[in-house]
Amino acid sequence: MSKWFIVFMNKSALLIRLAIVIGFASIAIGFLSSQLFYKLTFNQEVAITQQSLGSLYKTIGATAATAAYLAEKDLAQEVVDGLATNEVVLNAKMNFENIEVVSNTNTFVEPVVFPIQSLFEADKSIGTLVIAPNIQYIEERARQLALDNSKAMILQAFVVTIVAISVAFFLITRPMIEIARKLHKTVPGEGNRLTVPDFHQNSELGELVNDVNILLDKTEQQFTRERKLRQEIEALEKRFRMLFENSMSPIILIEPRGNIILFNVAFETILEKLKLQLKKSFGPLLENLFAEPEKLLGSVELAFANDEIATGEFKLQTCEDSASVWVQVVVTSVVNEDLREYYQITLHDISKRKKELESLAYQADYDKLTKLYNRQGLEKEIEVFAEQERPFCLVLIDLNWFKRINDIYGHESGDEILIFVADRIKKTLRTLDFGGRWGGDEFVLLLDGADEATTKELVTRLVQRISKPYFLRKFNQNVAVGASVGAAFYPENGVKIQEIINLADQAMYIVKNDRDTDPEKSLKFAHELDTQEIIRV
Amino acid sequence: MLQLTLLKTMILMGGLSFTTFVTSSELVLVVHKDNPTSILSRSQVIDLYMGKYVAFPDGSKAVPVDIEGDLEVRTKFYDSLVGMSLARVNAYWSKVKFSGRARPPTQQKDEKAILVFVKQTENAIAYIHESSVTEDVKVVYRFYE
Repeated sequence: MSKWFIVFMNKSALLIRLAIVIGFASIAIGFLSSQLFYKLTFNQEVAITQQSLGSLYKTIGATAATAAYLAEKDLAQEVVDGLATNEVVLNAKMNFENIEVVSNTNTFVEPVVFPIQSLFEADKSIGTLVIAPNIQYIEERARQLALDNSKAMILQAFVVTIVAISVAFFLITRPMIEIARKLHKTVPGEGNRLTVPDFHQNSELGELVNDVNILLDKTEQQFTRERKLRQEIEALEKRFRMLFENSMSPIILIEPRGNIILFNVAFETILEKLKLQLKKSFGPLLENLFAEPEKLLGSVELAFANDEIATGEFKLQTCEDSASVWVQVVVTSVVNEDLREYYQITLHDISKRKKELESLAYQADYDKLTKLYNRQGLEKEIEVFAEQERPFCLVLIDLNWFKRINDIYGHESGDEILIFVADRIKKTLRTLDFGGRWGGDEFVLLLDGADEATTKELVTRLVQRISKPYFLRKFNQNVAVGASVGAAFYPENGVKIQEIINLADQAMYIVKNDRDTDPEKSLKFAHELDTQEIIRV
Repeated sequence: MLQLTLLKTMILMGGLSFTTFVTSSELVLVVHKDNPTSILSRSQVIDLYMGKYVAFPDGSKAVPVDIEGDLEVRTKFYDSLVGMSLARVNAYWSKVKFSGRARPPTQQKDEKAILVFVKQTENAIAYIHESSVTEDVKVVYRFYE
């Protein structure tokens, strides 16, 4: 019920409009046609009355003629009175032979005059009959008739209106309103369809409904497709966002001038690490973040000039007290749809790797136990000396009785002794000298620019220090090691590294051999070797 | 011109006389030979017979006479005079009679009786065949003149 109430309340609703239009039209038509009808009826009635007066005259014509012929006043009186009794006649009178016979006293308005013909002689007028029509009555009757007609017309118009509205309502408006309401409620994607109203299977309305349903089908298909696409895009975007946000590496999108457009959490983290506040710009390519910005700019410029993605490893600007931060920088130029250029910068923190690499290098060149150079490290340093052709003295030290200590007190004690020796070496060496563990209980010193005297003095001091008894805490026992030392000069004894090493080794071996016979002698120079004794390599 | 018209009239009359001769003779209106009226107009005849002025032009009362026995003659007469059938004439009289004043003509059985009546009645007027006219009556109106 309420839905129709709403329909009727809505002034622009179809049915109301239709009713108003048909109603007004039928009222107007009814009014006009009744007016016209009234006029026509009236005129017709007046004409009919005129005719009926003629007929009246014809009826009483013979009697009137007789009365006039015989000049019979009584008969004439009878005739006019008889006429006057007719309701369409107001008054009647007869004139003949100077006699006038009148029915009553009413005046003659618009009288109709009929000549009285002689009964016996044709074409002979013997008087006149004058009839005053009852205009008032005629008009009244005509009006009544016209009014009745008008009423009938209005009634007809009313009935037609009702019928028209009903037909329009049941055949057109109601199905249309039903369709409109259903369509209004239809949401594409829910699968709802309009139903063809009854008796409209083959009408335009039915066609409309079918077309709308087809349209709904198409819309729905498109909706589904678009929804699916949107879902895919959303999922993709989510993944991208996840990638971006959760990336361990800072990713920054900047304008060529340096303004930051987009950045991820990792970027904030690295800024925190660098103890920097987030700013709108850190200069072109974030140069302010780098320790050597010119290196970065140059590298990127070169790569872009060759139409390549710029990559490189650069050190970030850090506070003096904090650990150094190294990053691999990847700069990609991105041109978006409106042809604006952006740089996508990805920073990969490689500090740890750098550190590991450094530590690896350290491990390669240093002896773990003694924290002195190992053989490889020493060889590198010897190379450096040789390349620069810097004179030096190579001193080879072999510990005495170390093997015995090792056997008696174990490796740990041996290691303790080695660390002790290394410590002595470190304390004895000058600033530009190098010292290292050559292997086992052998140590090598590189004495920068040292002559024989200096070498002798230094080695003597060192051997004295080494030879001091060492207290093994674990065994509560003093032990002592000695040292056999061989030395060779570069470039005096040879320019080949291996040759120098070999000479020093041979000198040391002689000292070791003569240990029992000449315990005081701990150092022998290569040039002191008998030329026959030297085994050339 | 006059001669031509006269001639025409004569030929016409001759033709008519011939016709009447063959059927019978024409009807004429007659009065008593001593009646001062010598001639009547058609209207005067109508007025006399239809009851309007039942008097002669000199004012003396007239007594019109109808033939009772010969309907054919009577029919012919009224037909000739007012162009009405006997029925209509009778209807007329039946209407007029009630008004009082006018009276239909008196009736005589046949021409013989009429002639006797007219001979005896000085103010009588009647119609008879022309061939029946006697010296006792005077013709005052002829239908075909």
